[in-house]
Amino acid sequence: MQLLVNALIAGSLAALIAGGLSLVFGILGVYNLALGQTVLVGGFAAWWLRQVAGLPLALAIPGGIVAGALLSWLTFDVFIRPFYRRHIRLPLVTTIALGMILDGLIILLFGERPRAILRETKRVFDAGAFQISLEQMMLIGFTLLILALFGWTLHHTAFGRRLRAVAQHDHAALSVGVDAPRLHRLIVVLSGTLAACGGIFIGIDQNLSPTLAFPLTIKAYAAVIAGGLGNVWGAIACAFLIALLEQLTVGIRWFGRFYVPAGYQATIPLLFIIFILLIKPSGLFQSGRRLG
Amino acid sequence: MQLPPYSMKKHIALVGLLAIALSACQPAGQGGGTIKLGYIGPLTGDAASYGKDTLNGVLFAVEELNAAGGINGKKVEVIAEDGKCTGADSASAAQKLVNVDNVSAIIGGQCSGETLAAAPIAEAGKVVLISPFSSSPDITQAGEYIFRDYPSDALKTKAIARFFAEKGYKKVALITENTDFASAFRTSLTKDLGEDAIVFDEMVDPGTKDFRTLMTRLKKVEFDVFFPNAQTDAVMAAMLQQLREQKLAQPVVSHDVGDSLTLPEIAKDAVEGMYVINVPAFGEGTGFEAKVIQTYGKPQATIAIVAHAYDATMVVADAMKAGAMNGTAIKDALAALTNHVGIIGDFHFDVNGDVVGVGYVVKQHQGGKIVKVQELSLDAPSATATGATVEDGSGAVMEKEPGAAMEKKPASAMEKKGDAMEKAASSK
Repeated sequence: MQLLVNALIAGSLAALIAGGLSLVFGILGVYNLALGQTVLVGGFAAWWLRQVAGLPLALAIPGGIVAGALLSWLTFDVFIRPFYRRHIRLPLVTTIALGMILDGLIILLFGERPRAILRETKRVFDAGAFQISLEQMMLIGFTLLILALFGWTLHHTAFGRRLRAVAQHDHAALSVGVDAPRLHRLIVVLSGTLAACGGIFIGIDQNLSPTLAFPLTIKAYAAVIAGGLGNVWGAIACAFLIALLEQLTVGIRWFGRFYVPAGYQATIPLLFIIFILLIKPSGLFQSGRRLG
Repeated sequence: MQLPPYSMKKHIALVGLLAIALSACQPAGQGGGTIKLGYIGPLTGDAASYGKDTLNGVLFAVEELNAAGGINGKKVEVIAEDGKCTGADSASAAQKLVNVDNVSAIIGGQCSGETLAAAPIAEAGKVVLISPFSSSPDITQAGEYIFRDYPSDALKTKAIARFFAEKGYKKVALITENTDFASAFRTSLTKDLGEDAIVFDEMVDPGTKDFRTLMTRLKKVEFDVFFPNAQTDAVMAAMLQQLREQKLAQPVVSHDVGDSLTLPEIAKDAVEGMYVINVPAFGEGTGFEAKVIQTYGKPQATIAIVAHAYDATMVVADAMKAGAMNGTAIKDALAALTNHVGIIGDFHFDVNGDVVGVGYVVKQHQGGKIVKVQELSLDAPSATATGATVEDGSGAVMEKEPGAAMEKKPASAMEKKGDAMEKAASSK
């Protein structure tokens, strides 16, 4: 039971990041490799507002989210928009460059030391079979809420319809009066916002250090690829699945005999993904054209 | 494939430009009036706080040297390279320092992995490498030109075993981050405690922050004490928080990495009460600390690391002042050194280049501070034996007025002890 809760905690975090990433990839076809840094900027900004500027958490968290949103806006207009029309892979390079710049800036602005947004040990609830802290419950709740909201927007609003139109065919959407470029920006900013939420959660639940960015990006891409490129729900499901596998790998006494050494925790789920891709190259949840 | 002719020309012009640009980057040249000291340490990455502190220690020493007219009239220049706490980066840093910059000596690396990777390169180039912070037992045998003014973990794990025996901790839960330093520490600790004493033993990827499932498993294990064997404070903080989140209330004992004031900052309650077994807080509350803070601001980790780096620089500078200007001469001078009065106390080096004269203390995290709770003797079983009082005396004095007014302890007692330990360690 505790294993499931652990997986839910880690999976929520991964789903936030991977969901936004998959959305960007599905609609723009663009790889954003500076996403891990966006996560950190959101987290570090919230840390700065809380611990240095001394603002209450209720202001620091929105502040961090706004920082992530602004950064992804900049990412889109400076590092993606001028390039992705020329060649869809160009942003791959420009966002790597941005990631490096941000790596440096994060160290310059926030220092090399690890930081935590909340210093106190979390208030832990004992639910008998498992334990969970208030903050972790809030994260899981928040993620599920965001996902529900997102699903509703996508399938039940005019905006969602436009979004799906753009995802299906850019030019066709443009010709019936959907402002595709504006939607693209919106999507990138949305993904940055979700990433920043992820960063803030890392800062609250564990601690932030400037080297986290790349591993975060890799994990998010693993979920996106395993879930079927461009399939948002697939990416989210795989984020949870990878997290669950990670916990099961080391948490279970396999065949009642031995534990897998913890050093393999990250490896085994990735091996599993390779296995899936071998059998089903389009990804676990690839279901055709439909987005979401 | 045919290249259009103009592109060839362009290439040549570019290469030419590049060559000019590169040569412009070269410092004044070998014959110039400066002595070059290399530095290797983690200036970026998770371990960057150690890099920052040790580099500041080196720079502070060099500033003092230059203010006093340099070494034999020559100004000292520091060439700092980022080892990133990894062997690969440290090796290329060492290559550059030894073969391109032709430095007189290298202060570093800091992480044991850095030092171990740089050692063969320094050894081949006959350049002295002195580490202020690496504690892996493997460094003892790293080479003739390799020194350190930080004690080997082979001694520390013995001290820890003593402390566990004193406290009656019999069952130890250990989580190790898979780095050179931490895994060597694990080996050494397992040897000194006995394999049966380690009731939970897991090794995780470097940089892991999710220990929840390991902690869930740990709940089912009966243990007396938890030992977070992490490479960095960021990872240790995550271990401690998740340990306490699972309501595991056992005492926690850690090593050097726990001796960081960043820990209470990021894991406030979870780190409270944790014991740290480490070298004394050299330099704390002294004029040295005040001057360092004035110049570089508060240390990122502790002032003691700054002091170790400062002393490592000064001991090399002293050898050079006495006329040892090339690598081999510096090596011989350090090996022959009988006593250096530094911020960390009186020390010299044994035949393996390991420091002799630095003992251990037990500290504890109390309300956001790190407080010394007891001396830790490496001598015969009883803690109140005469051996302990020697360290008590010097330790107490050192904490108040390091370097100054130290009673001249005959180094022989300490030395014998150190040698005995070394032999025990190397005869595995």
